[in-house]
Amino acid sequence: MLKRYLRLAIVIVLLGGALEASGQQATEMFIPIGQSPGLSGKGSLIGTLESVDPGKRMVTISSSSGAQTVGITDRTLIWLDRSQQKQPNQNGAINDLQKGRKVEVKLRKGEPKAVAEWIKVQVSP
Amino acid sequence: MRRPNPSHWCGSGPPLAVLCALVGALSALAACEAPSSPPSDLVSKGREIFFNETFKGNGRTCGTCHPAQNNLALDPAFIATLPPTDPLFVAEFNPDLKKNFENPKLMRQFGLILENLDGFGDLENMFVMRGVPHVLAMRTSVNSNQGPRTGWSGDGAPGDGSLRSFATGAVIQHFTKTLNRVAGVDFRLPTEEELDAIEAFTLSLGRQQDLTLPLRLKGTVPKRGQEIFLDNRLGKCNLCHSNAGATANFGGGNIGNANFNTGVENLPDQPADLTGERNPPDDGFGRPGDGTFNTPPLVEAADTGPFFHNNAIETIEGAVAFYDGEAFNNSPAGRVLAAADPNQVGIELDGTQIVAIAAFLRVINALENIRQSLELLESSAEKDFARRKEARELLKRAVSETQDSIKVLDGGGLHPAAVAHLQKAKELAEKAACSFFRRHDLTQQAIDEQRNARAQLIEAS
Repeated sequence: MLKRYLRLAIVIVLLGGALEASGQQATEMFIPIGQSPGLSGKGSLIGTLESVDPGKRMVTISSSSGAQTVGITDRTLIWLDRSQQKQPNQNGAINDLQKGRKVEVKLRKGEPKAVAEWIKVQVSP
Repeated sequence: MRRPNPSHWCGSGPPLAVLCALVGALSALAACEAPSSPPSDLVSKGREIFFNETFKGNGRTCGTCHPAQNNLALDPAFIATLPPTDPLFVAEFNPDLKKNFENPKLMRQFGLILENLDGFGDLENMFVMRGVPHVLAMRTSVNSNQGPRTGWSGDGAPGDGSLRSFATGAVIQHFTKTLNRVAGVDFRLPTEEELDAIEAFTLSLGRQQDLTLPLRLKGTVPKRGQEIFLDNRLGKCNLCHSNAGATANFGGGNIGNANFNTGVENLPDQPADLTGERNPPDDGFGRPGDGTFNTPPLVEAADTGPFFHNNAIETIEGAVAFYDGEAFNNSPAGRVLAAADPNQVGIELDGTQIVAIAAFLRVINALENIRQSLELLESSAEKDFARRKEARELLKRAVSETQDSIKVLDGGGLHPAAVAHLQKAKELAEKAACSFFRRHDLTQQAIDEQRNARAQLIEAS
């Protein structure tokens, strides 16, 4: 019986128990760059877009800790932070990632290379 | 727990007149009452924010959906007691929130709140309707081996996904003045200090640790219910609700809070669907969701219905019966249970067994109500005359808890002798709240009655 339930435990862990806890993406979109609770300044990368390669789907971000190249996938969410203009934030696209713009990037956990889960890009007034 | 009406407590006629006379005579003493001091510690600061801070939004506070007088949860009966101007109904009187912010019909009929968990890109079509879970015993329920799990599907908080960050997401979803949701315009985001305080307050609510089952219960049916609950071949409840809490233990140690797809979404005749109102399926954890929802604690269940993320079932008996039904047994979780069973059975219970498990859940809920009532009464008794306002507030909360314990026992036809003691305890606490001179004495008598009630439910340890 115990073996059965140990097997059950493994199956359940595989089915759902192993879901990685993560921040909710829906409301994250409306949080201005640098204000994400428990994340900004700790678990995210805030800096300026140094280069963008849409072909390779890579961006390089320069921050106080140096430059870091991050991959973009189809799952990466891009949001336009328009809070400085008092306008609602919006969904964006890779074309909105333009050199010189301020960004905040959350990296996807468990990836061998740095891949963005989401990118907030500040749109200038 | 229902909103207590203080005007009912103090009765009418002579006792009230006497009280009024005393109020007049003692008005001079009012100056002696200690002024309500500003919150000094994190928990009381968190309480203040939770119930009073609107974050410059539409008027809602955390307490709008988690009212102290209703077990920090919403249900249609409580909603029916609110005035039309209550900020809960903001979609009914704020033109900017009239469309795609709430569904007033589903809110009033079933206590459902609108959430845009899969994003705000298509407000007409992309939303789910969810109940408001209580926030009791969070210290025992929020952690998992994979990190914190908040909200019905475990992914309720932005940022780092922690309980501390939950309030930020709630403000954006529920407090906004318009659907633009611009920080600094439609609301302000909670500060770091406020998040610390709200988290501290939330973690202070209710039980701080899990029970250790089995309890030495009295009463034939609840006792049998506990046996079935703990029987991994019959009820199988304890596998995912270890010690009637919110954590799972399959024999290899406790794995913390876990998410499962139990098939609630596949229930036929869900009340909200029957109305014909738009009610898209809820896909649970993640975006897009994987169909899983996290496990709520059961000790507090009996007095915090309706049940499940969509408030699909009104009674605790119905909630237990769900696990005997096809929706559960055909679900991924039900199939896994069946695969592990020597007879390939998921959960199969008869009517008497369903009622027995529910009776057990009703009794442990009542025991928790009594524990909290005693804590509140004892704390009230410690307050001197200068702090009588605080004492009265604690007494009111004790009355609410006692009403709950009466309701959960009475609703299952359980322990009438205990119910009689609880009725007395309630009356005494109500009198104490209105008494200038006998508050301590009446409170002590209420404490004694609570203890008598508890002795009817469980053997002395």
